[in-house]
Amino acid sequence: MKDTNSFDVLILGGGIAGMTAAIYLARANLKAVILEQAICGGLCNFTYVVENFPSYTSIHGMDLMQKVRDHVDHLGVAVEEICEIERLDIGGTEKTIETEEAIYAGAAVIVATGRKPIPLCFPECEQVHYCSICDGFAYSGKRVLVVGGGNSGFDEGLYLLRVGVAHITLIEVADRFFAAESAQHDFLKHKNVKGLRNTRIVDLVLERNRLKEAVLENVNSGKREKVPIDGIFAFLGQKPSTNFLQGLVDLDEDGYVLAKEDMSTNVPGVFSAGDLNQKRYRQLTTAMSDGTIAALACERYIGTSRVHV
Amino acid sequence: MFTTVQDADFASTVDSVERGVVIFIKKLCPHCKNMLKMLEKFQRFVPGIHIYTVDSEECPESMTLASVERVPTVCVIKGGKILAKRTGLMNPREMEAFYESA
Repeated sequence: MKDTNSFDVLILGGGIAGMTAAIYLARANLKAVILEQAICGGLCNFTYVVENFPSYTSIHGMDLMQKVRDHVDHLGVAVEEICEIERLDIGGTEKTIETEEAIYAGAAVIVATGRKPIPLCFPECEQVHYCSICDGFAYSGKRVLVVGGGNSGFDEGLYLLRVGVAHITLIEVADRFFAAESAQHDFLKHKNVKGLRNTRIVDLVLERNRLKEAVLENVNSGKREKVPIDGIFAFLGQKPSTNFLQGLVDLDEDGYVLAKEDMSTNVPGVFSAGDLNQKRYRQLTTAMSDGTIAALACERYIGTSRVHV
Repeated sequence: MFTTVQDADFASTVDSVERGVVIFIKKLCPHCKNMLKMLEKFQRFVPGIHIYTVDSEECPESMTLASVERVPTVCVIKGGKILAKRTGLMNPREMEAFYESA
């Protein structure tokens, strides 16, 4: 028999949006719990250096998230990490979420589960990676292919250079790189890097289960070339972590939540904040904004509900 | 809760462990932090198990001795020997099954 723990607000996801909402709720004297599938910090944990967060000229993503987590802890918010959700009942007045260890009940829910990286379609290859901080040092002195010309691709490429990777080929399927100009400049100025636009990876050559070459194709000309590489780091963008909301909350065709301006959803008492929402810009600061608005709207919703009881 | 092991005592530590787990990690590695949190829960499933951490950057000799190249890598130790290794993420139940099968 699992224990039932009662809160005012259940926050699903401990990224920057969820933690910001938790801070605002705690300061409104509302009892909240963060339920996080992995560890708090979300995608920002995987960012080597954050240089656009007001108040820090340069800070490691995981350090920044630890500071936010310290703030959450200071306010006494309950946090459950490594938390698998088994059941979700959020349609009624009382919301309940069951994990493998306990049942959580609350008057409102803020969903802030963010997005997850899109995997490269070569699951058989063990030399395909998604985190240069975790796996990069094994490629010191070796050749690496970075897939994706957004901020993640360039930032992680820079980190790989710092750990001594001998050569990097960075490819982007579109006709331009999407990373910040400063990141592009810092990366492409190195002699041992090559940036290719209009290029996609179409095949891998393995020898005794070890990656030897990648087959790259120019999407305009169709011309293919084999590039010798020892490892691949893929940063193909993200998809929303909203499968568990299918049929419960209105989503767009790509799975993003159709939240209103106040972060409310079509389900009364269910709010949505951060990168999982359908919107144009996804930054730490915009996720914090969403988390703030969701918490304030949630506070108002709970206040109104209690007046009507 | 976890014991940190250095290069100087890695081999002797493994030799002395009857039932335990050693995890190779790295500072500022998000998957490593995730796995450390997971191992805290795993410890509840397997009471009495010893868990050791090795910083991969500070302990290159231990990495070589255990033939570990990437982090986080979890090694199961039984009877003073490393019997199984796995790199990447696991949840507590998967970790328990991995440990028991080694």
